[in-house]
Amino acid sequence: MARDKIYQEEEFPTPLMQLWHNFKQPPVVLIGFGCFLFLIVLAVLANVITPYSSVENHLDHLLLPPAWSDDGDVSFLLGTDNLGRDMLSRLIQGTSLTFGLSIIVVIASLAIGVVIGSLSALTTGIKSSFLNHFLDVILSIPSLLLAIIIVAILGPGLENTLWAIIMVLIPQFVHITRNAVREEFAKDYVLASRLDGASSIRILRYSIFPNIIEKLISQATLAQSAAILDIAALGFLGLGAPIPMPEWGAMLANGVDLFYIAPWTVYLPGLAILFSVVATNLVGEGMRHALKVRKEN
Amino acid sequence: MAYSTLTNYKLLTLLILVLSGCDSNEALSLSKKSIIYCSEGAPESFNPQTESSGTTIDATSNQLYNRLIEFDPTDNSIIPAIAKSWHVTRDGKMITFYLRKDIQFHQTSYFNPTRALNADDVLFSFNRMFDSSHDYHLISGGKYPFFQNAQLVNLIESIEKINEHTVRFQLTHSDSSFLANIGGDSAVILSKEYADELIELNAMQEIDMLPIGTGPFKFKQYSSGAFIRYEPHSDYWRGKSELKQLVFDITPRDTGRLTKLLAGECDVIAYPIAHKKIEQHPNLTLESVTSFNVGYFGFNTSKPPFNNPLVRKALSYAINKQAILETVYTGQAEIANGLIPTSSWAYDSTITSQEYSIAKAQELLAQAGYSNGFVMDLWAMPVQRAYNPDAVTMAKLIQADLLKIGIEVNVVSGYEWSTFLRKISDGEHQSVLLGWSADHPDPDNFFSTLLSCSSAITGSNRTFWCNKEFDQLIQKALQTNNINKRKVYYSKALKLINEEVPLIPIAHSKRYQARANNINGTLLRAIGGIDFNGVTKN
Amino acid sequence: MLIFTLRRFNLFIFTMLLLTILSFSLSFLFPGEQLINLTGQIDASPEQLAILADEYQQQSGLLSQYFSYLNHLFHGEMGYSMTSNLPIATEVLNRLPATIELTCVALLVAMFFGLPVGFCAAIYHRKLPDNLILTIAMVGYSIPVFWLGLLAILVFSIQLGWLPSAGQISLLFEIEHVTGLQLIDILLSDSPYKWQAFQDATRHLILPVIVVALAPATIFMRLARSAMLEVLDTHYIKAANAKGLTFSQIIYRHAMRNAVIKVIRDVGLQFANLVTIAMVTEVIFSWPGIGRWLIESIYQRDYTAIQGGLIVLSTFIFIVHIIIDFVYAALNPLAREPRNGKR
Repeated sequence: MARDKIYQEEEFPTPLMQLWHNFKQPPVVLIGFGCFLFLIVLAVLANVITPYSSVENHLDHLLLPPAWSDDGDVSFLLGTDNLGRDMLSRLIQGTSLTFGLSIIVVIASLAIGVVIGSLSALTTGIKSSFLNHFLDVILSIPSLLLAIIIVAILGPGLENTLWAIIMVLIPQFVHITRNAVREEFAKDYVLASRLDGASSIRILRYSIFPNIIEKLISQATLAQSAAILDIAALGFLGLGAPIPMPEWGAMLANGVDLFYIAPWTVYLPGLAILFSVVATNLVGEGMRHALKVRKEN
Repeated sequence: MAYSTLTNYKLLTLLILVLSGCDSNEALSLSKKSIIYCSEGAPESFNPQTESSGTTIDATSNQLYNRLIEFDPTDNSIIPAIAKSWHVTRDGKMITFYLRKDIQFHQTSYFNPTRALNADDVLFSFNRMFDSSHDYHLISGGKYPFFQNAQLVNLIESIEKINEHTVRFQLTHSDSSFLANIGGDSAVILSKEYADELIELNAMQEIDMLPIGTGPFKFKQYSSGAFIRYEPHSDYWRGKSELKQLVFDITPRDTGRLTKLLAGECDVIAYPIAHKKIEQHPNLTLESVTSFNVGYFGFNTSKPPFNNPLVRKALSYAINKQAILETVYTGQAEIANGLIPTSSWAYDSTITSQEYSIAKAQELLAQAGYSNGFVMDLWAMPVQRAYNPDAVTMAKLIQADLLKIGIEVNVVSGYEWSTFLRKISDGEHQSVLLGWSADHPDPDNFFSTLLSCSSAITGSNRTFWCNKEFDQLIQKALQTNNINKRKVYYSKALKLINEEVPLIPIAHSKRYQARANNINGTLLRAIGGIDFNGVTKN
Repeated sequence: MLIFTLRRFNLFIFTMLLLTILSFSLSFLFPGEQLINLTGQIDASPEQLAILADEYQQQSGLLSQYFSYLNHLFHGEMGYSMTSNLPIATEVLNRLPATIELTCVALLVAMFFGLPVGFCAAIYHRKLPDNLILTIAMVGYSIPVFWLGLLAILVFSIQLGWLPSAGQISLLFEIEHVTGLQLIDILLSDSPYKWQAFQDATRHLILPVIVVALAPATIFMRLARSAMLEVLDTHYIKAANAKGLTFSQIIYRHAMRNAVIKVIRDVGLQFANLVTIAMVTEVIFSWPGIGRWLIESIYQRDYTAIQGGLIVLSTFIFIVHIIIDFVYAALNPLAREPRNGKR
């Protein structure tokens, strides 16, 4: 519905816009954000832009070093592995696996965690206390051990490790959502809508979520860096992606056997993981910084 | 801050003290006179009679035990060991061994021998495998792969003790590979006195886990899956070893072994990777020996779709062996045309295996009714062996090859070696990458062990292929001593394998080993396991 | 303090209850037969299985099954490993000490280096040292631990040849297993090579400890930094400032103690994370600990081992958690009893 501007209204930016405004201030965060976007683009376009297939064996070009070394070949920019597979193509394809899947994992666990967290925020008494302790127990089990147990139940494989990591991450989101929702519920504006007769669900939907979303996103970046490291760690341990898949951790594990003759097969996937985790953490750092700045104002 | 800096400083001083501390002469002699061998897997047993895997043989056979006769490390001829001499009757059916009188068993914390080795020990060792009603026959499962595969149960009619130091084997028929089998790594001599003592203690199963033998080293300690500690046998009849300790550091990861060698934590490592790196290193030596072996891609012929010979043959056309040779063996092997390596006298150059042809593979697959392909499991052995230095990489290559004819391959890997072997023997696999290193130079060791019906029962025939015609051929080959006749039978057998393809032979490779330059002596043998007797460190 | 202790004890009981329920239900969730998963007796004959079923009260309801499982646990019976056929309790006892040694030393090292550096960053807030430390911290906790371990081995074991790459001690030394804590066992042993063995074991400990400690240390840096910043912002510091105390007096006498307390509260939560890192590190450095054993167990589908490992490792973490809580309470009267003040 169109509405004529009768009065000179002061435009209030939405919380997210405010966040973005504060977020883009430090240059290093912006660089990190740029890298993050770059990785997303890579992950989406992986199949289109890779020069070769990630599983294609170039048997005439085994263990070729990266192009800048003396024996390198410019058509294999980052060299090849022991089966003559192009490292660059594998790394790019790996982006959509390790990095891309980490985003999906985080979104899934965020969604589930927020639902459980808000529900638990609305309950009180013994049920709530039980859940609280239950979460504490789950949080005190090392994430890798939990993932291993879930993999043991479901069997190894990439899909199953993703489920495992989703389940490992859920408690964090439940925890943070519940605390945030509780905090907001105690505030006066919620009381105001409640006096207006709004139901709890409605309050959640229209009053509380817009106000806690940045907190959740900030937690999501933390969770994502953990997810990347966990996917890679499980891949490295041979419990994740099955053999020909160019998942970074699995690539690194494959490279370990070639460490002394072809060190780039270990350096490159490791750097890729490091790069993506640092980019994610920079985004998260910027987010938390922006939140703090807004709070201080 | 001041407080923590101070403690920091203290800690640093302590650290320096700890790290630099004085090297006493004693400690020097400990590392100077001990050898750490990084092996690729844990032995399944300490008695090679009960296990024929190379890992078990390497760890036990030449270290802990002796055989009646052994093979000369240089020319593979048969030489005396426990038996100082032997006599074969003209019809080949009666073999008499004359034993040495000065052979002592190990003295350990769990056994004190009171007498030297005599005919009773020989009888005990063979009767345990031969006589199914023997007290010890069923201990450790009752499977004696080498003995049963070589059909010795049917071959030996009786074993008699002639006197304290003479033993006679009576055979049902003449067998050309009998002596070679008796000299094989698995035909070790155990102590009857020890066995009797264990019966009294009611601890019979310990015979294979707390071993007593006559070999150059005696058992000290085994930490399951981690390490084995041996000490020299001071009364060894060939002379006491100069070493103070021999430690087998079980390191299944290839990179882990190389790392330990480069970091000086191992003196000798089995199956090294990155040969170039070792050759370039000033303090390390890479050595190799032409070994009697074959690496193969075997099918479980008792399970569909591989119960259909057409499917098996189709796959044999689809495998690019040349590519495997270059990637997995880095060119250090020869393509296997058949089961037998070219250096064996039974090798027949007229028999060649299927060439690499996707078109033919697809045609055969269509004939078999699988034109749309299928999904299969491929079990890749988790350890390095000479015949297959990197089964997982090989599996990846085969995976890519078979995808071209529409077959999707799931690579199964990651099991620990002994678990892997157990599951394969139980037939849990659909297909497997495995291989065989010969116990002795006779070609029968390949045929009977890998593909005969009797070995399908003992589990060393991992294809479960049982073909009457094939069995008859190898039986006939054993019954004659005429090499030319045997050769004809074996050629026929090889052709049959080529037709039926229970397995695809892939390569015959050298066996490699790397060691620090201060280790002297011959370790590697063309036949059978490694041997630390006479190895020194300076 | 009594109420505090009782509350912790209560929490411990509750946690153990949940943990055992979780582990008990795992035997149903794992593939294969529940009784075999629970006992690990894969080669058992039907008769033996019948005896076992009786022992674990398989005929009765779930609740009594659970209680008989608990009963077995209390007697230290966690079944048998499906691969080695040894009792899980023995396997765990052989390996847990190595993990305790590694994780506890790493935790101390991480705090030892993390806290001072974090305080340093806070003192130079928004200046060059602060930014530098924050950057290092960022890289430190972004680095995949398995990669770091490999690089550490390459540099320190192979290229420089300073430190060994694998294991707890050189296999040449025969050290009797008494407590399982290698360094203590060496001191207890009567080996003629005691001093050499001690040196050797220390050298073996250094690399894995550094690799495990790096990420937690960077987290402690950040925690210490923000705690210190918070403390420096409080009124009592301002008051101290107004009194004319020097900056170093304020930091050492007043701020540091309070900041350390704040950090210690979070150490417990970080310990679970540290154990995760240690599990991977154990694999890389062939450290004979429980983490490596668990990862091996999953390769072998040794479900009984995974079940036992879960209980033992989580209990260990929880106990450390509680110990840290007590340390925190001892240092901070506020946490102990409400009458000591208001939070």
